[in-house]
Amino acid sequence: MVRIALAMLSAVLGASMALAPASAETGVSDHEIVIGAFGVLTGPVYNYGKTAFDGAEVIYNEVNAAGGIDGRKIRFVREDDQCKPDVAVPAVRKLIYDDKVFMINGGACSNAALAAMPEIVRAEIPWVITDATAPELTAPPKPFIFTTFQVGWMETVAQLQRALELGGKKIAIVRQHDAWAASRYQPLLDAMAKGGIKPVADEEVAPDVADTTAVALRVQASGADSVLLLLFPQAATVFMRDTYKIGYKPMVIGGSPLGDVGDMQKAIGIPGATARFEGLAPTKALDDPAVQKYAPLVKKYFPNAELTPWHLVGIATAQFVVAALKQAGPDLTRAKLDTVLATMSLTPDVYAGPIKCTPTDHQCYRTVAWYGMVDGKLKQVGETTLP
Amino acid sequence: MVALGLVVVYRSTGHINFAHGELFMIGSFLAYSFITQFHMVYAAALLLAVVLTFLLGAATDRFVYRRLARSHDTTLVLATVGLSFLLKGISRFFWGGRGEYLTIPPIVDPAPVFVFGIPVLAQQLIVLAAAILIMLACLLFFRMTLAGKMMQAVAENPLAAYLAGIRVEQVRTWTWGAGAAVAGAAGVLIAPLSLLTPDMGFSLLIKAFAATVLGGLGSVAGAIVGGFCVGLIESLAGGYVSSSLQDVSAFIIIMIVLIIRPSGLFSAYRLRRA
Amino acid sequence: MNASARLIAVCFVLAALLPLVANRYTMFVGNAMLVQIILAVGLNLLVGHAGLLAFVNGALFGVGAYAAALLRDSLHWPYWLALPAAGLVAMVIGVAVALPALRLYGLYLALATVAFAQFALWAFMHWDAVTGGPSGLKVPPIDFSPLPVSPGLGQYYLSLLVALAICWLTHNMLRSRIGRAFVAIRESETAAEAMAIDVTRTKTLAYALAALYAGIAGGLFAPLLGLVVPESYDLFQVVFQFAMVVVGGLGSLLGSVLGAALMVWLQEGLRAFKDLQEIAFGGLILLTVLFLPGGVAGLLRTRLGWREALHRPVRTR
Repeated sequence: MVRIALAMLSAVLGASMALAPASAETGVSDHEIVIGAFGVLTGPVYNYGKTAFDGAEVIYNEVNAAGGIDGRKIRFVREDDQCKPDVAVPAVRKLIYDDKVFMINGGACSNAALAAMPEIVRAEIPWVITDATAPELTAPPKPFIFTTFQVGWMETVAQLQRALELGGKKIAIVRQHDAWAASRYQPLLDAMAKGGIKPVADEEVAPDVADTTAVALRVQASGADSVLLLLFPQAATVFMRDTYKIGYKPMVIGGSPLGDVGDMQKAIGIPGATARFEGLAPTKALDDPAVQKYAPLVKKYFPNAELTPWHLVGIATAQFVVAALKQAGPDLTRAKLDTVLATMSLTPDVYAGPIKCTPTDHQCYRTVAWYGMVDGKLKQVGETTLP
Repeated sequence: MVALGLVVVYRSTGHINFAHGELFMIGSFLAYSFITQFHMVYAAALLLAVVLTFLLGAATDRFVYRRLARSHDTTLVLATVGLSFLLKGISRFFWGGRGEYLTIPPIVDPAPVFVFGIPVLAQQLIVLAAAILIMLACLLFFRMTLAGKMMQAVAENPLAAYLAGIRVEQVRTWTWGAGAAVAGAAGVLIAPLSLLTPDMGFSLLIKAFAATVLGGLGSVAGAIVGGFCVGLIESLAGGYVSSSLQDVSAFIIIMIVLIIRPSGLFSAYRLRRA
Repeated sequence: MNASARLIAVCFVLAALLPLVANRYTMFVGNAMLVQIILAVGLNLLVGHAGLLAFVNGALFGVGAYAAALLRDSLHWPYWLALPAAGLVAMVIGVAVALPALRLYGLYLALATVAFAQFALWAFMHWDAVTGGPSGLKVPPIDFSPLPVSPGLGQYYLSLLVALAICWLTHNMLRSRIGRAFVAIRESETAAEAMAIDVTRTKTLAYALAALYAGIAGGLFAPLLGLVVPESYDLFQVVFQFAMVVVGGLGSLLGSVLGAALMVWLQEGLRAFKDLQEIAFGGLILLTVLFLPGGVAGLLRTRLGWREALHRPVRTR
């Protein structure tokens, strides 16, 4: 009932606002630009959403402190999709029709982002993807939709390359039973086939699996010397713990969810468990001076937080958005922003490589850095650029 | 062990507690806090967590179930379902900040010891030993001690027990507490071996149900045997058939047993009619 | 019409007027409420009126959604055929599960149906060939031609009409012999048998109806969301549905309607706080059971004297 009352009230207000002179574009007014973000704010993988959005908010706040863009301050609105597609659909509708955002800088979980996509396409609203890696979002390229994070197949191909680089001969795959892993599994198999390699073991586990002893035993029995993980941190932690338990110590290569190896090590809790573990991330190392300069900024706006790679993801994507908005100029419309984004390029100081979009390629980022534990400290140990 | 707690409660109150799994989960999380934040020794953490879960179980009886003692079965089950979600949400709130899963640092050296080529963890042996001790203690308690016999009396025939001078309601509260304590202990024992998440309660609950149903809902020995069976079936299914089958074997066991032989293997009770 | 029925009618009139002032987001919420009303009515029939504590509704909701999506997708059935068919599929499966469950009572029934619900969820997740596994199935919007309505508006009014029809049907059923039979078996099966009520048939009917409604609700929900994914039909959904009927009022049609509207509204309000959602719903169920056993409808009954067919106070032993 209240909702209906509110709806009627907003209809009346909306009608009265239509009479006042204002910018013709939704979400843009003389004094502000509204940027929306939908993503996972709560739950096991909240880092991909909440922490990244915190990083983005740091940049947006700094821009506001410096006077905004063409005199407009950025208002950043977040909606939680809990990494679930059925929550993402109403969340993104709320962003577009209730919060009335100008553009979206969000999308953290692939499944949820895919579910939200039809609604975003329908509204013709610019969307710069923060870290959802489903390739279908940006290929074939659609107007308005761009990503500043590497895409699923890039990660698994990089994982394979890394394993081979490190001398792996017998490669096993452990993946989770969900859409995220499924979309990057086939490209991995294709890449392996092209190189004439067959996986010696191929295991599937539930994302919330509690015990992977049987899986670890089977992989060990296959004689694999390297294991490629297409897993999220929870399953990966269980797997690493179980391989340690059975005394099996292969080389283990993980994707972007496992890039914070220090975090993984803490979660596993057994000293030395990640001695032969590497994960990837688009970001530079935390002790890099270019990165460290953001640490006090994060503390300024989020006093309880420590700088993590996921903050950096948000920082990079927000910097890209700000640069595009600045280039679009004071006469800001969605169509104009789309044109600017289609040829935008920027090398954020916290990313390992450049973000570069072209009209035919909206998957704008292709450089990943490898991280492992060296002498008990997280260090960058390599880099790969995808074609 | 969790099944044991369920059975203990069922025998004296005739009710199944849906929130039982959450008591297990809270035991684990409490132990986590004690060990990592207060730096307690494992044994002390175990003891304290058990005491607290006992109190939690007793409290829920005192404040929740006693009020509902006269209601329809449905109401009580609904109350426990609501409680289970409430506890889950509260745990998620307190402990869920770090991405929702936690690990307890290993108590003993986690390197496996190879016995006849099979890797064995010291922690697993500790759990096994402790579980056996506790289960023996429970069996003895029910058979030998006065308190145990009082609980049985209350379960069999509350009216008669009342007439015999037993304070039925108090005994009930103690029983809920005891069942909760056993679950909490199970949680603490398993904690160093697995990840702690707020959702772990439910999956354990289902397995405990499977164990109790298999063994027979009223039987303590049945719960123990049932527990072993379920564990065995799960591992075999997971190992030889498919990993995905591991999760679901508990459900299949429950469904099959309830259809074919609802009274389970050992049951001393028949199904009661409404 | 008595006061309860009038309130239900008012709710539907308001719902019919909503599209005039709503944006796409509010329409989604309104449509979701209507779908949940259908679910709640079915569940209340089963648990409230017939007293059968079965947790199957979540799974059957999912079955309806998947069935509707598959019939349109693979067999290319038009939606107006797929929707009732989805309801029937859910009904068949519901009855199939009910038959062994007929012998079970109280907590055994609860246990078995919880196990079935989890099994169904597992099947949705792993039967990739049919259900699309974890990615689920995409569901295209419904084309309402030759009627000149957009899919969004059309879906909304379709849900409204179906919900209205189901409420009206249930209202009449509760005043008939069938309704009285449900309540009779809830109160005492032995007594019911003594009055020549076929207990087995009545129970099966209760399951069948709840399943049918759940299946239809699923068929309406799928195109609303635009996809069918296993996570939508998990344990939280079950607790949510129970919260609807418990807080609304077990054994009351008005309770189903009010409870559904209230819970969906609460869920949207707590959108940002997943942690609080669990606490809220679990706590609500607990508090209602403890302090307000009849739910909102019970309150209206005792305080305002609003009577409804077969709405009895909560039974005490």
